[in-house]
Amino acid sequence: MKIGFILSLVLSALLLLPEISPAVSLSGDSATYVSSRQASDGTRELPLYEYLNFKTENLGSQNITFYFGGWLRYDLNNNEVFGKDKNSDLQYAYLSYRSTEANRVLNLGRVMVFEGVAAERVDGAYARTDLKGGFGVSAFGGVPVETNIDLPGNNSEYGARVSHQIPGVYTIGLSYLKEEKNSEDFREEEGVDLWFRPINKVEIIGKSSYNKITSGWMQHTYNLLLGPFEKLRFNTEYSSTNYKDFFTGATSSAFTFQPGGPIDPNEKVSILGETVSYAFTGGLSASVNYKSYNYDIAGNATYYSGIARYASAKSWGAGASIGRMAGDVERLKYTEYRVYGYSKFGKVDATLDYLLVNYDEAINLVHAAHSVTLAAAYELTEKLKVGADVEYSENPDFNRDVRTFFKLTYSFDFAYGKKGGV
Amino acid sequence: MKSKTMKIAFLLLLPALAAVLFACAHTQSIAAWHPVEVSYPAMCSDCHTDYRAAMNHTSDFYTTHKFYAAQGTQNCTVCHNDSFCSDCHAHKEELKPSDKYKDSPERSLPHRGDYLNQHKIDGNINPASCFPCHGRQNNERCKECHR
Repeated sequence: MKIGFILSLVLSALLLLPEISPAVSLSGDSATYVSSRQASDGTRELPLYEYLNFKTENLGSQNITFYFGGWLRYDLNNNEVFGKDKNSDLQYAYLSYRSTEANRVLNLGRVMVFEGVAAERVDGAYARTDLKGGFGVSAFGGVPVETNIDLPGNNSEYGARVSHQIPGVYTIGLSYLKEEKNSEDFREEEGVDLWFRPINKVEIIGKSSYNKITSGWMQHTYNLLLGPFEKLRFNTEYSSTNYKDFFTGATSSAFTFQPGGPIDPNEKVSILGETVSYAFTGGLSASVNYKSYNYDIAGNATYYSGIARYASAKSWGAGASIGRMAGDVERLKYTEYRVYGYSKFGKVDATLDYLLVNYDEAINLVHAAHSVTLAAAYELTEKLKVGADVEYSENPDFNRDVRTFFKLTYSFDFAYGKKGGV
Repeated sequence: MKSKTMKIAFLLLLPALAAVLFACAHTQSIAAWHPVEVSYPAMCSDCHTDYRAAMNHTSDFYTTHKFYAAQGTQNCTVCHNDSFCSDCHAHKEELKPSDKYKDSPERSLPHRGDYLNQHKIDGNINPASCFPCHGRQNNERCKECHR
């Protein structure tokens, strides 16, 4: 129903446009996947997926573009996959007007919005523009695109962000959003976002969000980035989250915490982390990471890791990492390892990836989870590629699990009219 | 009733205010598409010396990109289509990003390997990191167990 509404909105807008430009272009990607895996009831699932995304440019004007992204799935073995015999989703579909001045944008349809406290999808409209004196403003509104939204009452969402910037020095934004679900207030959030570069090689970036319904700060999350000093960089991370204020407005019970459960609903966590990275010459880089989790109620935890990576200009690359989680409780004590490599031989790509997690305390009587993946792809033409991979894993939930994945990807780029056909 | 009136007033007032103010703004828009092909990983500071240099896609950009996106997706869309975002930030999704791109092990993609067991651990340590993607969207698979 909603998809039909969006398509009719977009088609109506297309009909209202002046005659189609003689240089309309269509470009995008198609990805066809077939996955083979064993379901928990022992049957083998064989879902076929088709992912399509494209954009159509120069629709009557160089400033107007239509964007589309969606997928559909059907199981070739006629099994139900994730409880449905077939499934599909429209990720985004909107008509966009973009001006050559003031970064003015108007999007109509199913749009994604990332503005301050908003990281949303709505069936509606989004607009932004630069204002005089370094100010900027954006606004959006419509029907929220979320799970569990088919409720009888009014479902609506709207919000806005006002920002000011001195390019290269700072950008600060104030944002607001409100969502009504089933004719009742569902979310009301305010936030401030900041990017500040007081001097060269020093950058502070982050945001704070406030829940107006619970009258409490949801989260503060900031990073201090230093460098590069020669080839050395530092990234200090701090975040603080109040669960009571943060986990509101969920549509899954996974985020509904109960007193006495594994996660207390009144928990507060502050995380302090540091990542130090060094880029050697010739494509080699390394980083070490430390992160401290401090909870008000649960036991604390510390994570530290080291990673080394190599990437040659085009032909091959490799990486290795080791990480250790050391929590106060046995369940949060494990060591993880990863090694991977990839290479390109002419038109053939090959990849090997191995992951291992060793638990201090056995889970389902299993002390380790590991998986190994072998992938290969062949470039049939510049735009058409075929590939397959096989993954073998053993873990606390699956014993000797084998999954295969086939994919065919095609990139297209057609131009009509003055530019000449394909 | 009051709430509805406030909502309508807000929606009408904001565009009107913006219309008045932006009439004065005549800055040049950011290019719709990056004029030069960028190799992976994008190191913006190789060419840019202004604020854009801060957006170097270093290995930790995976953890900080949300801040840049929250302040200006027009910078992201210079190089990325929406499909690049929706590979991970999906409404409904049945395939993990790391399953679709097993041939790109160098990319920082979430949930590699067996994540069914690992998510119980990660979810205990920092459920706030799960919430942006699975709180209100892309949680149909969660509901198979979390009823």
